[in-house]
Amino acid sequence: MSPGEIHGLIGENGAGKTTLARILGGLAAPDSGKVRIGGRAVELSGARQARALGVAMVHQHFSLVPSFTGLENIALLDPGAWNRRGAAARGYRERVEARARELRLAVELDQPVGGLGVGARQRIEVLKALMPDPRVLLLDEPTAVLAPQEVDGLLAVLRRVADAGGAVVLVAHKLDEVLAVATRVTVLRRGRRVLTTEVASTSAPQLAEAMVGSKVAGPATSSRWRGAPLEATPVARLAGVHARRDGRQALRGVALEVRRGEIVGIAGVDGNGQRTLAAVLAGVQRPDEGEAELPPEVGWIPQDRTEEGLVGGFTITENVALALHGRSALRSGPWLDWRGVGEAALGVMREMEVQAEGAEMAAGALSGGNQQRVVVGREFLRSGSFLVAESPTRGLDVKAAAAVRARIRELAAGGDEAPGIVLISTDLDEVLELADRTLVLVRGRLVEMAPGDRTHRAIGRAMLGADRAGGDDW
Amino acid sequence: MADLSALSSFLVAAVGLGVPLALAALGEMVTERTGVINIGLEGSVIWGALGGALGALAAGPYAGLACGVSTGALAALCFALFAVRLGTDQIITGTAVTIGSLGFTGAVFQSRFGATGIALELPTVAALELPLLSEIPILGPALFNQAAPAYIAYLLAPLLAWLLFRTRWGLAVRAVGESPDAAHAAGVPVIRTRLLATVFGGALAGLAGAHLSLVHTGTFAENMSAGKGFIAIAVVVLGRWSPWGVVAAALFFGAAEALQFALQAWDSELPYPLFLALPYLLSLAALVGWFGRARAPGGLGSPWPTARR
Amino acid sequence: MRRSPEIVRGLLVAVVGLAVTAVVAAALLALGGHSPGATFAALIAGAFGSWDRFVSFTLVRATPLLFTGLAVALAFRAHVWNIGAEGQLYAGALAGVAVALLLPTSAPLLLLPITLVAAAAAGALWAAGPAAMRTRFGVGEVITTLLLNFVALFLAQFLVQGPLQEPRRIFNQTDSIPEAAHLPALLPGTRLHVGFALAVAVALALWLYLARTPGGLRLRTVGASPRAARVSGRFRATPVVWAAFLTSGAIAGLAGWVQIAGVTHRMYEGLSPGWGYTAIAVALLARLNPLAVVVTAIVFGALSAGGGAMQRDAGVPEAWVRGIEALVILAVLATDRCWQLLAARGEGG
Repeated sequence: MSPGEIHGLIGENGAGKTTLARILGGLAAPDSGKVRIGGRAVELSGARQARALGVAMVHQHFSLVPSFTGLENIALLDPGAWNRRGAAARGYRERVEARARELRLAVELDQPVGGLGVGARQRIEVLKALMPDPRVLLLDEPTAVLAPQEVDGLLAVLRRVADAGGAVVLVAHKLDEVLAVATRVTVLRRGRRVLTTEVASTSAPQLAEAMVGSKVAGPATSSRWRGAPLEATPVARLAGVHARRDGRQALRGVALEVRRGEIVGIAGVDGNGQRTLAAVLAGVQRPDEGEAELPPEVGWIPQDRTEEGLVGGFTITENVALALHGRSALRSGPWLDWRGVGEAALGVMREMEVQAEGAEMAAGALSGGNQQRVVVGREFLRSGSFLVAESPTRGLDVKAAAAVRARIRELAAGGDEAPGIVLISTDLDEVLELADRTLVLVRGRLVEMAPGDRTHRAIGRAMLGADRAGGDDW
Repeated sequence: MADLSALSSFLVAAVGLGVPLALAALGEMVTERTGVINIGLEGSVIWGALGGALGALAAGPYAGLACGVSTGALAALCFALFAVRLGTDQIITGTAVTIGSLGFTGAVFQSRFGATGIALELPTVAALELPLLSEIPILGPALFNQAAPAYIAYLLAPLLAWLLFRTRWGLAVRAVGESPDAAHAAGVPVIRTRLLATVFGGALAGLAGAHLSLVHTGTFAENMSAGKGFIAIAVVVLGRWSPWGVVAAALFFGAAEALQFALQAWDSELPYPLFLALPYLLSLAALVGWFGRARAPGGLGSPWPTARR
Repeated sequence: MRRSPEIVRGLLVAVVGLAVTAVVAAALLALGGHSPGATFAALIAGAFGSWDRFVSFTLVRATPLLFTGLAVALAFRAHVWNIGAEGQLYAGALAGVAVALLLPTSAPLLLLPITLVAAAAAGALWAAGPAAMRTRFGVGEVITTLLLNFVALFLAQFLVQGPLQEPRRIFNQTDSIPEAAHLPALLPGTRLHVGFALAVAVALALWLYLARTPGGLRLRTVGASPRAARVSGRFRATPVVWAAFLTSGAIAGLAGWVQIAGVTHRMYEGLSPGWGYTAIAVALLARLNPLAVVVTAIVFGALSAGGGAMQRDAGVPEAWVRGIEALVILAVLATDRCWQLLAARGEGG
């Protein structure tokens, strides 16, 4: 790494990107090997020390304290915020504001960050890292939660940092971002460096091949193949739905119709009402206003596999029983018919090709991909007519994600008996790949995209909402 | 004038009874601010009472206070080694520390003094009358004619308020309690902060215990803490995790207890066990009435680093 | 639906935990100037020295611990931190005694069931307060159940000194209950009463409920993850939490009354030496499994029965028993946690 360089670090999930970044950031110790900063080998034993040596880090998951204001969050890590007695230093706030102006970051310093949007939080995170002018800035997947335009804003800030002589390490799994901003790039695969090269002398396919280790098929076609025509009557319908979450208005006048055999994609930046929409569609939350016509049973593949979709300490059978325990066919007297449930579980495992030692294996011991297959299969068993899938491939590696997507596609292509599926995802590529129709959820409102507008640019604009015109500041 | 002197002696009693609660609760407040709930506080109180008694017998009442602080801190250290260092469940660990403390203090007491049932007489810590201040009518004697721990409590409240909300140390402490992951990412040593804050809480609870034996009663009896540590935890909630709130809530409880004594003195026919239950019932009522408006630290009660199941 | 590795883990943790406790307790005893060997010998002789010691002391002492242990195990299974079994026990004892003394009937077939129901209802009622405070106001049950323990204790004091005091008004205790309210002996010639069998039946019923019924599945789900209950199970956690509170309180309430109806035949201050707290050790050592609680309750019953002998024959204050109980909890927690950490390290390579 040299001053003024932006270095892209790419690789699949589990390739070791985050671990490498954490070692550089002082949060994890290497089992062997050395870190050199400024030509000297150093042992980093904590974030503060890394900081003192000029290494700053922006984490994949927000490392902000939700109940603190932006200013408090920034001061937490910055020795410059305090005088010698440890009390707040005079004029610190002005210095922070000046730095934000210099970097052209629009930040809100006096609100608790927990109440801010994702983009605003990410700006504070970046400013927090850049406050003491580090020599090296590390960013671990900083764009994962942002809308395309916000990604552009962030990349512009990174360029300004590099132009001012800082070195930037950008960890990403999206090639186009790295290609857009980095000067050099390193590819990691299963914890090994497989390639380091100048960006100018490489191409996206070459990098992709290096990441996966074999030739990758071209990107999936944007619209999927369809067999049967859609039925006329919707299987689920929302009209004028308003709903709250934690006392705040989360959905404002949402209208949606889903028919059997179609996949309706709902894109949007996290925190715009996705969770509430899923809960309303699943019939778990009743709207405050408006109508929701839903089938009696709805399959729900929730966002959080390990906390909501499954109970890790339960067996696969018990997890399947969670969905079916209310059915009279699976009871005899007061007892649950465990044999019947066990057969259903084995059916799910067969159908979804779950790799496990048996239905009595603890769900928590399965791999992420297999866990998600259990959830998808169980929810399809719960309802053959309507499924809600929330970011169903989050955290899965490329192969497992592709397999889960293929399953969802197959379900929707199942002819007359196919369910209607709502796919709520923050991954725009996933929505574009799977969905027949695309809507954007922004601040609790649903906006339908015209078929011609199904581009990253247009959807990205919709994701940010019309009223945020892109100025120079990000 | 008789009414005024009755009011005055009621206030003296109220402050005297509120002080140990305020001390224990201020300590527990700091502990909880780092995300640790120490139900074993009751254990620190009883150890403080016993340590205070033994220390006072050996080297006088002030040595007793110091001894109570150390024994209380040690009990909290025991809790912290399990619940913070090892990451065991805070509630169960705290309950175990309380049970064990009640048992072992009883064992130590019995092997030292026998199970005779004759009340132990301890040298007590005398009240310190602050010149001028104690001459303020009514409030003066109540606030400024108290034993030394009371003055520690008075000084501690503003000091902790300043430390928690105006200094880097305080920001770090609060960050650990609100979001240990974020604090760790910012370079704050989460485990060490939690350990120290828990031991600090135990030390103050120990002082509160020593106050019970050396100021309040002048004796030691098994189980004499009688839930003071638990009430202190309720006081932290009522005081909304803020130093001044905690002190106010503690004085409120002191007043409730003083009222119960005053009523007993007034009419000995009243069923005193019901009055003894009063502070506990008040705690419950106040928890319900007050809780909705306060917010506990975000990471309270959860071990860190988070265990993978 | 427990898998065999779980059972192995539970057994190992229990055995290692008890062994660690024995070592630490021995060290502390030596430190306190007592001979560990003599102490343990007295303890074991007191608990298991003869068939009669075992049945009339250990099993009799185990009975209230079995009830309270089951109450705690059930509550903890649902992640309801009921530390209030002690108070619920007193509530049940008071209700049972009051009904037995005041109800003008002497038909055993009528009086016994009525008193048992009254005791269970009073225990449940005592737990209903914390349940309402948690579900309606979001106040954690740890503090509320703890505080109510003291309230129950003072209420008991008040009643046995006042309205329910024996007619002679000498001791702080109630009159003895009518014979119709006595629990009959389980084994003739011993002090063991039918209450023990009742407790074992409750254990069996709880086990069946948790393992075999939809309600049990729901309760376990709420304990493991309330969010999974809502999203995957599609049921509300609140009614389940209520059920756990009330059932737990009812079982703890039975503990108090069964002790009176089976052993003391009257209510007095200090009826329980802390069975509601020991219950936590009993339940944890059993890993919250109702059938295992039967075994661990007997272990702690032995500790309690042996404690008296320990004081008499080895001169070790009975207060040590409480200390040892705490050591068991800590040792089991620590052993379990170390197991977890080692397993995680093993997985990580």
